[in-house]
Amino acid sequence: MSEDMEFLLAMVLSGASIGLMYSLIALGFVLVYKATDAINFAQGEFVMLAGLILVAVLGFEGAPLIAAIVVVLAAMIGFGFGLERIVLRPLLGRPVVAVIMATIGLAAIIRGLGPVIFGKEVRSVALPIGDDPIVLGPANLPPIQVLGAVVAIAFFLGFTWFFKKSRMGVAMRAVADSQQVAQAMGINVERYFALAWAMAGVVSALGGIVWGAMLGVDVQLALVGLKVFPVVILGGLDSVGGALVGGLIIGIVESLAAGYLDPYVGGGTKDFAPYVLMILMLMIRPYGIFGRRQIERV
Amino acid sequence: MTRFGKSVLGIAATTAVLAVGGAQAFAQSKEVVFGLQCDRTGPTAPVGTVLCPGYQDYIALVNSKGGVEGYKIKVLEIDNEYKVPPAMEAHERFNKEGAVVEFVYGTPQAAALGKKLEEDKILGTTPGFGTSAAADGKRFPYIFPIAASYWSQAGAAVEFVKEKLGTLKGKKIAYLFYDNPAGKEPLAVLEELAKSEGFELRTFAVPAPGLEMGAQVLDITGRFKPDFIIAHLFGRSPSVSIKELKGKGYPLSKVISLVWGSAEADIIAAGGMGIAEGYNTLQFAGVGKDFPVLKEIEAMYKAQGKPAPKEMDSTVYYNRGVLSAALHVEAVRNAIKAKGGAAPTGEDVKKGMESIKGFTLGGFVPPMELSPTDHEGGGWVQIWTVKGGKLVKVKDWFQGYRPVIQKQVAADASKS
Amino acid sequence: MFHRESGVFKTTYAADMALYPLPIAKWTVIALAALFVLIIPLTVHEYYLSILNLIFIAIVGALGLNILVGYTGQISIGHGAFMSVGAYTAANLAVRLGLPFWLTLPAGGLMAALIGVIVGMPSLRIKGLYLAIATLAGQLIIEWTINHVPAISGGAQASIEVDRPSLFGFSFATQGHLYFFLLFFAVLAIVATLNLVRSRIGRAFVAVRDQDIAAEIIGINIYRYKLLAFAISSFYAGVCGVLYTYYFGIANYEQFQLVVSIDYLAMIIIGGLGSVLGSILGAIFVTLLPIAIRIFMEDVGALFFSSAEMANVISGLRLGVFGGLIIFFLIVEPEGLNRLWRNIRSYFRVWPFSY
Repeated sequence: MSEDMEFLLAMVLSGASIGLMYSLIALGFVLVYKATDAINFAQGEFVMLAGLILVAVLGFEGAPLIAAIVVVLAAMIGFGFGLERIVLRPLLGRPVVAVIMATIGLAAIIRGLGPVIFGKEVRSVALPIGDDPIVLGPANLPPIQVLGAVVAIAFFLGFTWFFKKSRMGVAMRAVADSQQVAQAMGINVERYFALAWAMAGVVSALGGIVWGAMLGVDVQLALVGLKVFPVVILGGLDSVGGALVGGLIIGIVESLAAGYLDPYVGGGTKDFAPYVLMILMLMIRPYGIFGRRQIERV
Repeated sequence: MTRFGKSVLGIAATTAVLAVGGAQAFAQSKEVVFGLQCDRTGPTAPVGTVLCPGYQDYIALVNSKGGVEGYKIKVLEIDNEYKVPPAMEAHERFNKEGAVVEFVYGTPQAAALGKKLEEDKILGTTPGFGTSAAADGKRFPYIFPIAASYWSQAGAAVEFVKEKLGTLKGKKIAYLFYDNPAGKEPLAVLEELAKSEGFELRTFAVPAPGLEMGAQVLDITGRFKPDFIIAHLFGRSPSVSIKELKGKGYPLSKVISLVWGSAEADIIAAGGMGIAEGYNTLQFAGVGKDFPVLKEIEAMYKAQGKPAPKEMDSTVYYNRGVLSAALHVEAVRNAIKAKGGAAPTGEDVKKGMESIKGFTLGGFVPPMELSPTDHEGGGWVQIWTVKGGKLVKVKDWFQGYRPVIQKQVAADASKS
Repeated sequence: MFHRESGVFKTTYAADMALYPLPIAKWTVIALAALFVLIIPLTVHEYYLSILNLIFIAIVGALGLNILVGYTGQISIGHGAFMSVGAYTAANLAVRLGLPFWLTLPAGGLMAALIGVIVGMPSLRIKGLYLAIATLAGQLIIEWTINHVPAISGGAQASIEVDRPSLFGFSFATQGHLYFFLLFFAVLAIVATLNLVRSRIGRAFVAVRDQDIAAEIIGINIYRYKLLAFAISSFYAGVCGVLYTYYFGIANYEQFQLVVSIDYLAMIIIGGLGSVLGSILGAIFVTLLPIAIRIFMEDVGALFFSSAEMANVISGLRLGVFGGLIIFFLIVEPEGLNRLWRNIRSYFRVWPFSY
């Protein structure tokens, strides 16, 4: 393979792996939107919170990693339940702006009080996966990214099965489609809302663990949340598969932009490209590749 | 309670809180006020939460020894969240309280406050950041870089590379930088040096927030394959860059980072000091705890029955805070002495700062010389490299390509 | 007794259509004018004037955003970017062509309005969250453009210095001078908005927000009015950006990033969507909040925290309280401070009776 082709392949693989890491975060967003129609601007902060809890637990002498992971999962599930109860239930039926601002406010709270409660210094997470890059053809992938990709794909498979085949998943989809009819059929809507947020908590917990291991945990971890939007717009706000595909596309596009466009423009297209892609998508097919044709066109 | 009642209660509570705050303590006699702007919650919080305690601790040390020439120092710290309006409000508050010297935090803030500092005659320091052209004391009378500016840092980095490679002619150097004005500052000097020394320079921008740069690093290591990398990153991106470069197999001994990617915190976040063997860093203040002034601070805490704060472990940023405080105190000391013991004004402190010479605090501070025309002090830096799990000094205070930097400052002045 | 609405008879159309037809309004305006034009500038220290200056600029921005989000129902997270467009336009014109502020200000506003229309075009096809995200993209793309096009940003530093505004040789340099300068524009913006929302255009905006399909049926061209809302709102934002530029003496896009857009959204939500008074109250509240928290913590916090921890706690608390208040207002009082004020006002309407 010629060197240029090798480089291209390496860029694509690198972009794909980071893209799947983005999908991991986007999944949390999609879960919430799919089940409850709520838009979570605080997804990045959830991931950060999970990371903070993780390193706080690991900070205790001799705490095994497994215990820490269990604590994080439990904490994030509890957080999801609590959040739904206290903040989101009163906001049911309110205009979109209200929920968006509520999650923005929530993001500010977590970002402000998280370091105060858990400590502000950067802490790294040591996962037992080694540091040597995994070689995949011409590409060297950091093992943590491979782990993240595996987790994302596992979630994708798991949630696809859940929503298609399991009783609870079908019930959740019914609730998302039409709350009133679901209630008429005897489905406890409130319980399913809580469940959706709890599931999002689980995804955030794993996202926090993986991203925390990759970047180290501190306040800035929340910034990954901004990447969510291009991914879900591309993939469809309520599609689990879309989150995966959207993440892959965004990751690869970013990578190629950095590699091939940057030299001409003096840098920075990596940031720029996903948003341009997103706008194009919004103009042509706003509900994304896999989303449902549900939004009101003017 | 009725709706009306609730509203009145809310307003009464708010007013009460604000009124409580309005009762400010009166300033005691024989007191000087220092203003400290900090970023504890914004994008550079990892720096601010360590640097500012360093500043405060040094001032506490000076106060415990009787203050500066008999004057107690009162430090007002205000968090500007790395935004400009709070920075302006902080400056106005410092002005109101009669501050004579101000630690400005952040490059955009320094740019915005430049004019105000001059109008209010309070000097502001921007060590290791801010506008490099502010080294020109005539053009910017009230702004003091008091440490190597970005241009000086770039010159020093290239000097180090030259030393490591033997010669620069025909070599390839990659410049990995954070895509904002502060990150782009050094470009002017780097391009100039590339022309005069004959090396090939290619730039790789990392857009904010710089949490992942796999593609750029791949581009560097896979395609460009440079002989050396000069890195200029902030916040969390330095640790990400270390991880990425290591992951792609690029030897960290061929990387040199400018001052804001050079802290223990960055290296630890990348996976610990052990994995970053050979990583070279530029420093403008002493590193590590082996300095008399730091031992004094530790002793001060012990005397109060408290353990040394854990911020002291993050010596790179902590020491920079101590350095800034030390220079502020020295400037005020010069001012008070020049006035024969009378309370100094902002203008006096400016003259005091400009007369700082030979102030090294036991090797902690470079042998800088400030003057009315040179507010940078010479652009001295040290190089510390990660060896055996710790930062070890490999090159003592030096200036890199000083004449080139001075030419750049002069050229910039002639443009405006 | 104060807010007497009965017994007020007008004899001309003009009198009836006045902004505030009640007699108490006249006295209120005179009292406020005396307070702001005479009493405050002469008695209060410069530091407080500087805070008021920041509030005045924020009022202009908040009014603009409320026109778009509160009155027309179009969500926009791009307000900060429009401010930077206005700021750089004015700065470039002032520095390259030497134009005075009374030309650069409208120019900055118009340029921002133009960009606002372009960013607002997706609103013709999408609503709600999608529009919010599109404006977010607009914010980031504008930031990137300014950062990377030296012709606009004036070089690597991306900062352009401007001289203080001057009128007939008198330069507005001190906080006191700038106070009057900014007060003028704040009052201008308030009066303009009050009139705008009472006019045909304002009513069309509200119609688009409430029932856009019905509005279209009765003949309101919702495309035109949506773009107009973006244009007007961005004009305000551009003017706000220019005012910031003249106030700081420098234009720098790092002052106008995403966090600023979110701050302004918070202002209008806490203040009250869809009301002029709400924008004003919200701007005051959000600007004062960090200062109030700091003062409160400085006095009271010493009881609970050591001085070393305090600095961290203050800043964390500030963000936490900010977020908490947003959520509080959304849940408890969705119409914001404006509603609180109206409650008080309706109490005084019939005072001393209870109903």
